[in-house]
Amino acid sequence: MSWWKSILPKRASDAQMDSELRFHIEELTDENIAAGMTPEEARRSAMLEFGGRERFKEEVRDVYRIRILDAAVANLKSAFRFIQKSPTFSITVILTLALAIGANSAVFSAIDAILLRPLPFPDADQLMRVDQYNPKTSSPLHLVAPVRLEDWNRLNSTFQALTGYYSEDVSESTGPLPERITRAWVSPRFLEVWAVSPMLGREFTPDEETLHGPAAALISDGFWRRRFNADPNIVGRNLRLDGHLTPIVGVMPPSFSFPDRETDLWCPVPAGLSYGPARLNNWFTVIGRLQPGVTLAQARANLATVQAQLGRQFPKTDGELSVGVEPLKETTIGDSRRSLWLLFGSVTLLLFIACINVVALLLSRSAQRQHEISVRFSLGAPRGALIVQLLTETFLLALIGSGLGLFLAAAASGIFRSLAAQLPRVEEIHLDARIVLYSLACSVVVTLLSGLVPAIRGTRRNLSASLAQSGRSQVSGRNPLQWLLVGIQVALAVTLLAGAGLLLRSFQQLGRVSPGFDPTHILTFQLSMNWGETGDMKKLRQFTDSILETLRATPGVEAEAISVGVPGVPFRYQTELKLMEGRADTEPKIVAENRFVSASYFATMRIPLLAGEVCRETDGPPTVVVNRAFANAYFPGAPVLGHHVQSMNLGYSGAAEIIGISGDARETGLDHLPVPTAYWCAPIAEPGTYFLVRTRNAPMTMAETIRRQIHDTEPQRSVYDFAPLEQHFSDALAEGRLRTILLTFFAATALSLACIGLYGTLSYSVNVRQREVGLRLALGALRGQIIRQFLWQGLAVCILGCLAGWALAWVSTRLMAGLLYGVSPNDVPTLSAVIFLVLAVAAIASLIPAIRAARVEPMHVLRDE
Amino acid sequence: MPIEKSDLLQGTLDMLILKIVALGPVHGYGISLRIRQISREVLHVQQGSLYPALHRLEKRGWLQAEWGASDKGRQAKFYKLSLKGQKQLESEESNWNRLSGAVANIMQTAQ
Repeated sequence: MSWWKSILPKRASDAQMDSELRFHIEELTDENIAAGMTPEEARRSAMLEFGGRERFKEEVRDVYRIRILDAAVANLKSAFRFIQKSPTFSITVILTLALAIGANSAVFSAIDAILLRPLPFPDADQLMRVDQYNPKTSSPLHLVAPVRLEDWNRLNSTFQALTGYYSEDVSESTGPLPERITRAWVSPRFLEVWAVSPMLGREFTPDEETLHGPAAALISDGFWRRRFNADPNIVGRNLRLDGHLTPIVGVMPPSFSFPDRETDLWCPVPAGLSYGPARLNNWFTVIGRLQPGVTLAQARANLATVQAQLGRQFPKTDGELSVGVEPLKETTIGDSRRSLWLLFGSVTLLLFIACINVVALLLSRSAQRQHEISVRFSLGAPRGALIVQLLTETFLLALIGSGLGLFLAAAASGIFRSLAAQLPRVEEIHLDARIVLYSLACSVVVTLLSGLVPAIRGTRRNLSASLAQSGRSQVSGRNPLQWLLVGIQVALAVTLLAGAGLLLRSFQQLGRVSPGFDPTHILTFQLSMNWGETGDMKKLRQFTDSILETLRATPGVEAEAISVGVPGVPFRYQTELKLMEGRADTEPKIVAENRFVSASYFATMRIPLLAGEVCRETDGPPTVVVNRAFANAYFPGAPVLGHHVQSMNLGYSGAAEIIGISGDARETGLDHLPVPTAYWCAPIAEPGTYFLVRTRNAPMTMAETIRRQIHDTEPQRSVYDFAPLEQHFSDALAEGRLRTILLTFFAATALSLACIGLYGTLSYSVNVRQREVGLRLALGALRGQIIRQFLWQGLAVCILGCLAGWALAWVSTRLMAGLLYGVSPNDVPTLSAVIFLVLAVAAIASLIPAIRAARVEPMHVLRDE
Repeated sequence: MPIEKSDLLQGTLDMLILKIVALGPVHGYGISLRIRQISREVLHVQQGSLYPALHRLEKRGWLQAEWGASDKGRQAKFYKLSLKGQKQLESEESNWNRLSGAVANIMQTAQ
C-alpha cells in the first residue's frame, strides 16, 4: 500500500463498493442457476433479493460519514437536559467559572489595552521618545532644548521627523468666568510625527510657526464638545488665552489625546524658541517618528553620532550630553507592566483553582452518574462518544460561565479607572471582540483542564461494569485524586494569600513611615500661569508676594508656602552641583535633588532646621538650604555652611551660598528614603508651582474661602487642583493600591474556592462512609472520635497543601521584590499568618462535615442495608 | 421460520459476523451463506444489514479487508479478523454466554 493511502481517511470508494456488491450478485445468480433457474431468471431474482443497490451504497457510506453536526447537536441537547436535571450542581459550576473566567478576562482586557495593543496612532511602533541626559547624574533630566531639537532634526538620518511639546495651564476668558484649560505648545512637524490630521479645519501654516506670526490653536474633540457643544462652524472663532486673542483653526479627532487626555488645545511654537541661554534652556519633551525599516539600535547609534558632533561643536553645553531613544509605548506604560503581569499571574492561578474545584465537583458527580454511564455502555455506545458527551456538558457550563463572566470583564474599565485613574492608557480599556474571543478560549481551556480527567475516569469500562452489578456502592472513602486536588488548591491559595499579605504589609509599612515633614492639614492648589510671564521677574515676584500675603491674611490659615513639586509625591529633578570652592577629583561628584521653595516652606511643612538659617528672600546673591543627607554624603565631618554651589544644568541661576541644613524629608516619595537635596530659595511662582497652605481645620473646608480671596486680588486667574496633601499621596500610591486590592480580592476568592473544595470532598467522603460510621457507632465508637477522624482527614491534606504553598510562595514572591516596601519577599510573619488563616478557615470547613458524620444514626443507616 | 434482521439486535449481528470471520478470511457473500447454513436456515441476514455492518466493523478496526480471487476466480473483498477484533469477539462471546445462560436459567426455573 502506498504511503498516502494510510494518511487519507479510510473510505470505501464507490467503485470498490460496486465491485463488492457485484460479486455478491454474481454469486447469488450462480446459486440460483444451480437451483435450476434460467440465467435471466436467476439474475433477476438475485437483483430482487438484493433490493435497491443505490440505497445500500448510501447506507454503507453513512458508516463512514462522521456526522459531526448531528452528534454535536445531540450532545448539546443532552447537556442542556443534564443542566436542567441538576440545577444546584450546574449553578455552582457556572458561578465558579463565571467569577474565575470573568476576573481573568477583566485583567486580560487591561493587559490587552495597556501592554499589547499599539498606541492609538498610525504606525505607532515608529514613535520614539527621545531624551537628552547627562550620564553622570543618576537621574537624568529628560527635557530637551528647542535649538538642540532643531539640530537633531537637521543632522539625523533615521527619523522622518522629531517634534517637541510643552504643556501648561492657561486661562480662557471668552466665557462668563475665566476657565482654566490645558494648552500644549508644539514645535513644527508636530502633526507630521503623529500622522494625524485635524478632523475639522486645517493644520498650522508655516506662517503661524514663525516668531511673531499670527496666533492659531487646534482644539481637542473633548474641549469642542464641552465648551462649544460640537458647533460645526467653530473654525475661525476666537479664544482669549491669558488675554491674547487666538483663532481656532481646527478640531482634532477624538482619538488624539496627546500628551494626555487633559489637553484642550495645541498652539504652535516657532522653531528653536528659547527663554534663556538657548542651549541650556531645556523645556521640550521630544517625540520622533522613525523612518520605515529603521531599527531602534540604528536610531540610537545615529543620534549618538549626531550628539557627539554637537558635543565637539558646543563642548560647554553639549559635551557631556547623551541621547536616549525609547519606544514611546514603553515610556507610556512605565512601571505598570509589572503590576499588570502580577495581577494576570494571580488571576490565572485563581482560574486554576476554579478549574480544580470543577474537577472535584465533576468527579463526585460522575460517581453518581456511573449507573447512567454503564447503561449507555451496555447499549453499545463507544467510549469516545461518552467522553465527548461529558466534555460537551462541561463545555456548555464553561460557556455559560464565561458569558456571565463577560459582565465582569465589561466592568473592568470602570474598576481599573476607579482604583487607579493614573494608570496609563486606562481609558483605552474596554470590552471588544478580542476580549470575547479570549474568554471563549478560556472556556475551551477550562473545559479541557477540568473536564478531561473526570470524563476519562468516569467512563472507565471496568468501573462501569463492576458498578452495573452492584447497586450498593462500596466505594472506598479514600479517593486520592480528589484529596490531591484539594491539596493543590490549598497550596495555590496559600501562594496568592502570601502575595496579597506582602502587599498589604507594604501598605501598612508605608503608613507608618515618618516622612520628615507633617503632611496633615496641608491644602495644595495651583494658579493658572504661563511661561511668558517669566520674562518679567519683578512683576512675578510682586504677584507671588501678593498671593502669599492674601493667604496669610485669610482666617484659618496658619502658614503658607510655594514649592515646585509636592513633598512626598514622586517628582525627580536631580542634577550635578559644582562646588565653587573646588573639590578634589577623588571625591564623589555632588549629585542632588533640587527643590525650589519659598523661605516659609520649612515652617509650613514643619521640616526642622538643624543649622544655619532658612532662605533669605532678598534680591542679593541666591542662597540654598541642603538637607542632612546632603551634608553627610558630601561633607562628612566637615563644615557645610558658607560653601557655594552651582547647578550644572541650571547654569544661568548663578552660584548660591549654602546657608542652612534642614532635617531629612522624603521629598521624592513616601516609599523612597531621603536623598541628598538642595532647596533653592525661589520666592517666585512659575507655571506648575504648588501653593501649600497649612490650615487649622480640615484642609478642604478652606478651599472656597481661598478661591474667593484670590479671585478678589487676581480676577484673571483660575485657581484649580485643590487637594489635601494626603490626597496626593494616595494618588501617587494608586497603582500600588490597585494591585493590593485586586490581589487581596483574588486571594480571598481563592481561599473560599479552596475551602469549598475541601468541604465538598470531605462531605462526599462522609456520605460514602455513612454505613461504616454507623457500624462503628453501633459497635461503641465515641462521636468525638468520629469528628476527630474526619477533621484530621481534612486538616492533614491542608497542612500538606500549606507546606507546598509555603515552598511555592517562597519561590514566587521573589518576583514581587520591586513592588514591596519595608518587607522582605520571604517575610516569615506574613507567611505564618497566611498559613494560620488558611488552617483556621480549613478547620471550619472540615468541622461541618465531620460533625455531620458524627450525627449519623446507626440504626437508620444500618436499616437501609 | 427464518429470523429477519429486524429481530436481531445489532450487537448480535456484529458478534455473528466476527465469529464467522474468525474461522478464516471470507467475503460478504460467504458470510451470509455460512450464517444461513450454520443456523440451519433459521437466520437470514439481509444484504442491506450485512454490508453496512461489515464496513462499520472494518472502520472500528475489528476487521481487515483485502481484495482477492474467489473460488471461481472472481475478484472479491475478503474480510479477516484483526487482533482487536479477536479481543472484541472474546469479550462479546463471554457476555453472550452469560446472558444466554441467565435467560435459559430463568426460562427453565420459571417453568
